[in-house]
Parts: sequence; structure tokens; C-alpha cells
Amino acid sequence: MTDLRTAWFRPAWRKLKALGPTAQALAVALVALAALGPILPVALFVIAILFMIYATWAYSINLITGMTGYVSFGHVVFVGTGGYALGYGVKVWNLAPLAGVALGGLFGALLAVGIGAVTLRLRGAYFAIATLVTPLAAFYIVSGTPALGDGAGLPMNLGFQIGTQYYTIWALLTAEVALTWWATRGRLGLGIHALREDEDAARAVGIHVPRLKLILYVLSGGFAGAAGAVFAWYVSGVFPDTFSLLFSLTMLAMIIIGGMGTVLGPMLGAVIVLIPHLYLLRILPQGEPIAIGVAVILIALFLPGGIVGTIRRYVPEARRYLE
Amino acid sequence: MADIGTVVASLVYGVLLGFVFAAIAHGLNLIWGVTKVVNAAHGEFIMLGAYGAYFLNLAWGLDPLTASLIDAALGLGVGVAFYFAFLHRELRGKEQIGLQTELVTLVATFGLGLAIVNVGTLAFRYPVGLRYNPGNVVLGGLSVPLGGVYVGLASLGIIVVSHLFLTRTYLGNAIRAYGQDIVAAKLMGVNPTAVAAIATGIGFAMTMAGGAFLTVYLRAGITPLIGLTYAPISFVIVVLGGPGKMWGSLVGGVTIGVLLDVLQAFVPVEFAYAAAFLFVIPILALRPEGILR
Repeated sequence: MTDLRTAWFRPAWRKLKALGPTAQALAVALVALAALGPILPVALFVIAILFMIYATWAYSINLITGMTGYVSFGHVVFVGTGGYALGYGVKVWNLAPLAGVALGGLFGALLAVGIGAVTLRLRGAYFAIATLVTPLAAFYIVSGTPALGDGAGLPMNLGFQIGTQYYTIWALLTAEVALTWWATRGRLGLGIHALREDEDAARAVGIHVPRLKLILYVLSGGFAGAAGAVFAWYVSGVFPDTFSLLFSLTMLAMIIIGGMGTVLGPMLGAVIVLIPHLYLLRILPQGEPIAIGVAVILIALFLPGGIVGTIRRYVPEARRYLE
Repeated sequence: MADIGTVVASLVYGVLLGFVFAAIAHGLNLIWGVTKVVNAAHGEFIMLGAYGAYFLNLAWGLDPLTASLIDAALGLGVGVAFYFAFLHRELRGKEQIGLQTELVTLVATFGLGLAIVNVGTLAFRYPVGLRYNPGNVVLGGLSVPLGGVYVGLASLGIIVVSHLFLTRTYLGNAIRAYGQDIVAAKLMGVNPTAVAAIATGIGFAMTMAGGAFLTVYLRAGITPLIGLTYAPISFVIVVLGGPGKMWGSLVGGVTIGVLLDVLQAFVPVEFAYAAAFLFVIPILALRPEGILR
């Protein structure tokens, strides 16, 4: 009798066990975040939203920079575009904020199609520069466009909706983590790995490199845009400063610290970057970018694999369960 | 309808501004062309050069032209230190610069740039300005500020002198040889580390001197954030002219100077800058080796 009653979950249980410790730990953390939501005190709840926004950005830049090695210095352009899409949609078209988030994701993805179609053919420093100029140009464009607040931004009055924000960003983050995990294994994972190591060789063995890069970039832009929209919703407004390169550095810092192209790294990086953010911001506003900048210099020069990459390098046994 | 005098004046201003742009981009061009890595913190050293001119003006009353010489001497030291702190570990012993090296140096210098910007905003809350007004010169009915003429000509001088240095001296030829083929340069007895360090130092010297010249054009004053405008302008100029092509800085600088000046006559200044920045993308897509042959 017991057999019949438990039989249904055995295949599912076996599948869960086969996921490996990294995916299991991330799944437990995400389920815990969802389950703990209603009982968290408001102060922690608000911090948890900010943490999930940061983590979504980290996984977003990980999709392109971490997985393919194309350094997207201008990733913040998607964040700002998503924020402005939500701001404009909510103010002018009276959209619900949730629809604004969808709009932000859509605009982020569309912008990524446009930028990616031209710039993904470039490599190394050329790609970095081509992406670096986009948020700077976007900053000037939104500062001079009356419909977008003419430099004063679009403040919004949406009320206190942290519950909806919490589960929106949770859903985005969970989808992105699942996508990242899925994109690191199987044929797709091997294809991306080959692309990162040697693009010409990957092309030679029959991987459709341009398509793969563009898909990753568009997904990355879409998630960054949607999370940027949630951020605008969270701070009740969107301003030209959203295009600040500091956000780009913060995003890069999270994956550099955690480990580029890994499944666990961006989450670790988000935790490590957010904790000083909460404290340093109160003591000294400039302290955070200075600390992040110095940390990025040291890790990029001395521990290029970040936390996860360095552990995997020096502890061979860890390679089986740390992804 | 603009009369011919206004158009000529606009062109003269644009060309003079373009010379200064060429000077600030020239250092980036040299380092990029020789070591094959891009200094993402380039704008912050332009900013430091501008502050150098400000402090020299404050302390000894020096004008930006004299200050640029001291800035250049400082830049030489800063550049050599920068080479050993950021580039040497990555370039040492390499005969070909790969994507991994590019990635590491880009990310590390990007971090450096934002750290410097924020140390700057911590130190300077308000824009500072220096007084330098040698008057105007009247050229065929239009009045051109002499300050702009002097720094424009000095910028042109930097480019000519650096060209002579790179083509007529042993050290200059060694730098170019290293930039073309590291193995061949080594076989000819060139010390790769010394050459790369000196080239980086000279690049920084020109960058910081260019920052001093730029102060003449910074009407709103010097702020720690100016690098965020002039670094992308430098990138655009170098890409336009082609990295490693020394006359490319001049062609790119004048193109962007005139473009900005002419665009401002038609669209708000914000859109002029946005257009100048975005200009780099079609150039990269269509002619990644630059517009010069």
C-alpha cells in the first residue's frame, strides 16, 4: 500500500537528487525566500526585494559576460530603459505596474536585439567600447527629452506595494536562475562553453555562434530591463542617474567576485556586494563605489575566477558539486 | 539662414576644439596601439590632468600651457606606475595579446576609473574653474578666443612631436616595432617591458597634458565627472582614426570636434553629445580598422 502512495513522487525525487548540490542549494534558497516572505519583518522584506533585484541583474550580466566572455560595460542601459518604460507606461498610459515590468522586459529585449545585432560581431575591447557608449548616450537623450521628464526624471506615486514587488522579482529571479542552470549543461552548455573558449573553433564544429550570442544577449537585456522596471517601481520613480556607469560596475563586480559564467557565483556576488551597500551608503555614499572598484581591481588581477572559479581551480573535488 | 561668417567661425571653433580632442585621445591611441590593451580609466587621467592645471594655477598662477608641461612630467611617472600595477602581470612574456588579457585589463581599469571618480567626488563637492583669458584675436571679421587658439596649436604640437619621436628616434622605432610584432622586436634586441612601460608613460603624459588644455573649454568648471564625457569622446576618436594609427587621432579629433560644433547649431547640446557617442557603433560595424587606410 505504501508503495502505491509514494510511487508518484519517486521519479520526481530521483530527478531532484540528480540536480546536484548547487542547484539544490539555490532551489532551497529560492523556495525559502518565497515561503518566508509573509513572515519577514518589513525592514528585512524591503532589503530582500533589493537583494533579488541585484541578484537578477547579476544573473543577467552573467548570461552574456559570464557565459561568453563579452564584457558588457554598458549593461545599465537595459536597466534604465526598463525603468523608463515602466515610468512612461504607468504615467502616460496608466498601466498597472506589473504590466510596466513586462513592458520594461520587452523594451530591454528589443534594445538588446538592436545593440546586439550590430555590436556582437565585435570582439574584446571593441565590444566593450561599443556597449560602454550606449548608457552615456542614453543619459544625454533622456536628459533632453521633454516626454521623459527633461532630466528631472519621472517620479511616480504608486503606493506601497511591496508584496507584489517581492513576488514579481522573485519570479524573475527564479526563472533566470533556472535558465542559467539549464544553459550550463547538455549540448547547449557545451556549445556556450566552446564559444567562450574559442569562438572560431566553436564555429568550425558547427555551433551557430552569432545566433547563440544574440539569444543570450537578448535574454540578458530582457531580464535586466524587467529588473530595472521593478527597481523603478521599488524607488517610485526613474531618473537619468539610473544610467550611471556605477550600476554597470556593480553588476560586473557581482559576477567577478562570485565567479563568471557559474550558476552559484552571481548569487554569492549579490550577497557580498549588497551587504556593504546597506552599511556604507549610510556612512559615506562614495565609500561603496570606491570599495567595489578596489575589490574589482584586486579580484580581476589576482583571482580571475572569482570565488567559485578559484575554489574549483584549487580544490578539484569541489568541481563535482560546485557549479 | 546662417551667414557665411557664422559657418566659418563655427568651423574654426570646431577645428580648434578637435585639436584638443585629438590631444586627449592621442595617449589612449598610443597605449592601445602599442600594448593592445584599452585603458578604461582613460577619462579619469584626463580629469587628473585638468585638476593638475587647476592646482598649478592656484598655487603658482601658471597658465594651462605651462601647467601642461608639469602635468606631462607627472603623467610619465603615473603611466609607468600604471603599467607595472595593471598591465605588466598580464603582458609579461606574452607574444600575442589574447581576449583573456583584454578582458582582465578592461575590467580592472574600469574598476580603477570608478574608484578614482568617487574619490574625486568625495574630495571636490563643487566645480572649480581657473582663470585664463589672454583675450581675443580677430580673424577676417570674426573674433576667436586666443586661449582656444593657443591650446589648439599646442595640441597640434603634441601630435607632431610624438609623430617625429615615433618615426625618427631609436626609442620611438622600438615602441612601434613592439606594437607591430613582439617576437620580432625582441629578436632585434628590444626590451619588451621597458618599451611597453615607456610607451604607457608617454601615453599618460599626453593624456594629462591634454587634460590641462581641455580646461580652457570647460566653461562649467572642472568636476570629477568630466572623465565620463571625455573618455567616450576619446574612444570614439581612436576608433574613428583606427587604433595605433597616430594621425588617426588628429583626423578623428577634428571630425568629432566639427561634428559636435555643427550639430549643436541644429539640435540641443544633449543630443549632439549622444550622437557623437553613438557614432562609434556604425564605425565599428562598418570599418573597425578606422577610416584611415
